[in-house]
Amino acid sequence: MFREWKDKEYIPPKTMVKLFTKGTFALSKVIIKNLNKLKKNRMEKVEYIPPKRKYKLPSYNPNMKYIKSDEKYLRPTLYCNPYAKEIIALANHLGAFEKEPYEYARDVFEFVKRNIILQILPLDGVVATLRRGYGTCLHKISLFIALCRVAGLKARYKLYALTMIQQWYETFVQPDPLMQEWYNAMGYFMLHGEGEVLIDGKWIVADVGPTPERQASAGIPITKFGEDSIGIWFQAIPGSIMRVESLPLGLGMASKILMEKIAPSSVKKINNSILKQYEKGKKILEEIGEEEYDKKVRKGYKMPKIELERKSIIFE
Amino acid sequence: MKKFGTMIEFKEYIKKLNERLKKYIPASLLPSEEALYKPLNIFDVPKKEADEYKYKAIKYAFKHHYENNSFYRKFCKENDVRPDDIKSIDDFVKIPLIPDKFYKTYPAGKEFAMWLATIYTGELPNIVIRKNDSYDDIIKKFNDAGLVISYSSGTSGRHTFIPRDKRTFYNSEYGIAKSVVTMIYPFWEYDINGYLLMPNPFKTNVFAGKVCSVYFDVIKNVEVAIDREITADIIQAAMQDNLKGKIVRYAMQRENRKMINRIVKWLKEQHKQKNKIAMVGAPFILYFVMEELKKSGETFDFGENGAVATGGGWKIYEDKRMPVEEFRKMVEEVLGIPPEYCLDLYGMVEGNGWMVHCPEGHYLHVPTTYYHAMVIDENGEPVAYGEKGRFAFLDGLALSYPGFIISGDEVRMLEECPCCHRNTPVLEPEVKRAKGDEMRGCAEEMRRVLSMDMSR
Repeated sequence: MFREWKDKEYIPPKTMVKLFTKGTFALSKVIIKNLNKLKKNRMEKVEYIPPKRKYKLPSYNPNMKYIKSDEKYLRPTLYCNPYAKEIIALANHLGAFEKEPYEYARDVFEFVKRNIILQILPLDGVVATLRRGYGTCLHKISLFIALCRVAGLKARYKLYALTMIQQWYETFVQPDPLMQEWYNAMGYFMLHGEGEVLIDGKWIVADVGPTPERQASAGIPITKFGEDSIGIWFQAIPGSIMRVESLPLGLGMASKILMEKIAPSSVKKINNSILKQYEKGKKILEEIGEEEYDKKVRKGYKMPKIELERKSIIFE
Repeated sequence: MKKFGTMIEFKEYIKKLNERLKKYIPASLLPSEEALYKPLNIFDVPKKEADEYKYKAIKYAFKHHYENNSFYRKFCKENDVRPDDIKSIDDFVKIPLIPDKFYKTYPAGKEFAMWLATIYTGELPNIVIRKNDSYDDIIKKFNDAGLVISYSSGTSGRHTFIPRDKRTFYNSEYGIAKSVVTMIYPFWEYDINGYLLMPNPFKTNVFAGKVCSVYFDVIKNVEVAIDREITADIIQAAMQDNLKGKIVRYAMQRENRKMINRIVKWLKEQHKQKNKIAMVGAPFILYFVMEELKKSGETFDFGENGAVATGGGWKIYEDKRMPVEEFRKMVEEVLGIPPEYCLDLYGMVEGNGWMVHCPEGHYLHVPTTYYHAMVIDENGEPVAYGEKGRFAFLDGLALSYPGFIISGDEVRMLEECPCCHRNTPVLEPEVKRAKGDEMRGCAEEMRRVLSMDMSR
């Protein structure tokens, strides 16, 4: 079993272990320093109504085509079961096996990016995400990957730690002092990601995390299939980018403890803030139109991309 | 008026300033430095001459960064712009602008040192970084190696770090001194007493404090309001609502009363001895001093023997912003210093241009020889004079980092000053933050660190 886990990359890579160790240590420090606040946080009543699903689930038919394979990047992995009926149904509904691979993958990207609203909650499987209509960026990536794999397109996770732009910081970190303290203690956000799909021998990035509404609210371009969010939303911490077949073991449990046991009110506050940002962006797009908005914002100023150089710095 | 009877000639006045600031002036001048050091009156250079200086200064800086800074060169290539494309001032719009937020996107740990090295233009001396070095440790190591890494902080506690080399920093210091001294002509003389309402420049890397070290070369006797060490960690802690933050703020608060009393005592002594005084720094500190004086019913009449130069923003309390005009009235009522000698400055950690109020109308005059100011709309396109937009600039003096910046400030720029005849465009007297950008300003940063509200 261990060999299978290792092969499927359920065992977190060294970089991830390092990131999590640092993150856990920083979080423990925040917790110890804020025991009273945390107690209050658990007692605090924060009104929160989860968003409604934006789409109808297509119905499943046993004759629907799908690819079953044990090949790397095609097989099921943790939280990512491509053979679930709901996934097969949606894949067929989106044109799997009818459209060209690139066209299909792009439509899957658009579906996941636009329809699954970002909300913070513990990790669970792709079917739950699809039924619910919301989830974290990791939920969204898993759904994108499952929909690709079921159609015979190899897909994987691209995960990294990041520093974020101010608007993202304001939505995600600022609403909650504990989150702020944790982020500030680390200097970066521990884990974010994108999906990657292999088409014609090339891995194409799919930044399914932010909905167009959230991007409009932050005043940044609406990222397209094949367009990376690094440099637009985020700066990846150098050396932190990991390309893996699966999410690692332990992440689900850790997210459950953190979000449900340690700071449930913080999570609600952040989710409310994300929904507010979503509504704000929706209004912007309704007023100006998505195409016009994107054209306009791409004409405006861009953030330079930076690849860190060592120059003559000596590390001891 | 007394000043007309004994007025020193402007040429002589600036000559005296240059003698005092000899160490800041490089032996051989680069084009961008010529644009700062050569003009006699930085705010009154004829347009044709100013444009000639400016074209050479900005073109030189752009070429320098393009050739010696890999991230900026890459950014230029993405925008399809090369130094050869800049053939006149009209082409300045092609120069790619960097959002000020970019200088906040630093990683933690040893990568922070690499980030500083990457955004720095040119080669660095050897700097040894240890695994567990904090931000302050890394800054100290860079500064020990001859650089001047300074920062400003937003209310999020996330800093803006700017890597200046000594030359750029000296240029910036000379620039601020020349700008203020020029505008307050003929008030300045070396042999007077000053109070710096900022952290001690020699005990902090906060840019607004650090840049004031030139004050000690411009004025003979300077007292400092905040004499303790202010580190990046202290500022970050003070912005947070945790135990460390509370301890820091409590300690600061205890000192505040003493600080106010010290300044009041100093003012009384200066007034008694009929000394000429100049107070420079964050307006909220002087506001609390004046409140204290008002409470005890004391006023002074320094008249033209006193001057106040403020900078950094006008938040007095968490929920209260003080109109600049009201502040000037208060200064006149309590200290007896006329509004012509109460001027505000606008500048920022990312730049080396200093906009200063003119005494006549208190409009912010923009230096035109080494600094190209623009107001741009949300598409990054320049707007016409008189229209509101984001303040952006091309800074010829920034030689150690690309100083081609879009700020988070909302301004309105006028082609000429409605109140005086100085040959520069002006910004309307008060600058505000653009919608969606975090509250910032060195005074606001200090106000939070000192927890001045708590005494309310």
